[in-house]
Amino acid sequence: MSLSTNNIWELAEMYLAGSLSQESFTQLKARLATDSAFATEFYEATDLIRSATDSGKHKRFKNMLRDIHREQEKKETGSKKATKHVIFTPEFWRTASIAAGVAILTSTITIWSLKPSMRKNESRYNMISREVKGLQIAQAQQLQKQQQLEKNLDTKTRKGFAPTSDVMRTGTGFALSNNGYFVTAYHVLHDENGYGDSVYIQNHDGQYFKASLVTFNAETDVAIMKVEKSGFRFGKGDLPYSFAPAKAALGSHIFTLGYPTEDISYSEGYISARNGYDGNGMQYTLELPVGYGESGSPLIDSKGNVLGLLTAVGSQAEEKTYAVSAKAIMELLHKLPDEKSIKLPKASHIGRMNREQQISKMEAYTFAVKVYKK
Amino acid sequence: MQSQFNIEQQLLAALAAGDRAATEQIYSQNYHIISGWLQKNGGTSADAADLFQEAMVVLFGKAQDEEFRLTCSIGTYLFAISKHLWYKKLQKQHREPVPLHENKGDDDEDTGIAYEDDINTHKEREAHYEQLDAALDQLGEPCRSILRAYYHHDKSMQEIAASFGYTNPENAKTQKYKCLARLRKIFYAGMD
Repeated sequence: MSLSTNNIWELAEMYLAGSLSQESFTQLKARLATDSAFATEFYEATDLIRSATDSGKHKRFKNMLRDIHREQEKKETGSKKATKHVIFTPEFWRTASIAAGVAILTSTITIWSLKPSMRKNESRYNMISREVKGLQIAQAQQLQKQQQLEKNLDTKTRKGFAPTSDVMRTGTGFALSNNGYFVTAYHVLHDENGYGDSVYIQNHDGQYFKASLVTFNAETDVAIMKVEKSGFRFGKGDLPYSFAPAKAALGSHIFTLGYPTEDISYSEGYISARNGYDGNGMQYTLELPVGYGESGSPLIDSKGNVLGLLTAVGSQAEEKTYAVSAKAIMELLHKLPDEKSIKLPKASHIGRMNREQQISKMEAYTFAVKVYKK
Repeated sequence: MQSQFNIEQQLLAALAAGDRAATEQIYSQNYHIISGWLQKNGGTSADAADLFQEAMVVLFGKAQDEEFRLTCSIGTYLFAISKHLWYKKLQKQHREPVPLHENKGDDDEDTGIAYEDDINTHKEREAHYEQLDAALDQLGEPCRSILRAYYHHDKSMQEIAASFGYTNPENAKTQKYKCLARLRKIFYAGMD
């Protein structure tokens, strides 16, 4: 027989995924009809795979429910005026399109490293992304309106240029040196949906600046970019923070600034494990509440040292946040031929300030990174 | 109400795929109604959390069926399932004899039976998954962890190959098939 494989499990998998060729499918049916021992084995295999797949899906769903319940309880005890309706934020598009066939992701972030493989369930993926579209339209229109407003505002009051195409992904970035070099998470620029057409940063004043990729390491999830405008400066003085030379201690208190929405947002927590996801030594594990759009946000200790950048959030029941260590940024920098044009800050200027002052000093150097696609 | 209807369908489709935003939305729109009702009917807030989550799992199971998604009103369904689950639980505990079809108004005999069917299917499925988990537990390593990573945690074969030290995804896949064959022996042996 000319079935594409002799392994009954592989055959069962392909059969369930609908990926058998027409010819193999016909062959399989013929054999199932004539060979009863084979048929018994094959149906047991498909039943088992189906059960295991469904059972996993249910487990992930239950974990997510427990997680949502905890979160909502927290929200309610935290603030009485908590809204009861969760609105689909623009960030949802991204989740939805990737999430689709795969419950794991559904959860909190889309971590490149935790990302489930989409190929596993491609047909489902397509189906869902189409179905969610209806919900997107209203959001897209709203966003367009907003962009139009921003654009109008721009032409009136600013010299900056506002991109007109649709936002594909957003993240956060922060300055490496005042002359335009900055760092963000690589998965903000590129994931399963590919690269966008252009990348802009939008600073805390709302101004847009076009940026281009200088170098990246997809494995560590670090990308170094540069604002294209000549003579560009992030802020007036030197960078307020410095980069930590060594890995920080377990329990260190840390904070971050990022752009989960159009507004900059502050969050604080602590280092809960020395290594990151799956024991990754280039990462930290954090107890730090973050949202979509905060990928690439700086991880800063109380003395104003950058310890790394946020990359991912664990899914489902675990609420861990992961950050790439500053070491990965340094390694990437050292590989640059024009390393010298990036003058890293030597000392932190905000070590003795209180948190409010630290934040206000940092705002100019932390910005949204927006990826556009026509 | 056409638009409302459409959104419900989309929400259910997203729920069926395990989408978090959709699940959160359904959760926040319905939890308080059911929790309020339950606490008027002898339940605690901890009961409410358990009950509502179980009702959500029933809905999740049903939402896998596209035809169901076309006709379902999420709020009505969740409420009805929660009520039935709660009455069942009370009956089991013999706290008090409760007629299952209390509200004739919104819950006539036919649909009442339909909800019962859904709950029974749900219970059978849960029992089936438990058997499967028990069989998985009997597997040795690395099989147990590989199958868990693939099916429970939805890891790709690339990720599994990397974290279990296989030189490439193909090798990991071959190992996975061997593990499935072992699982089948244990699982179907346990059925007799």
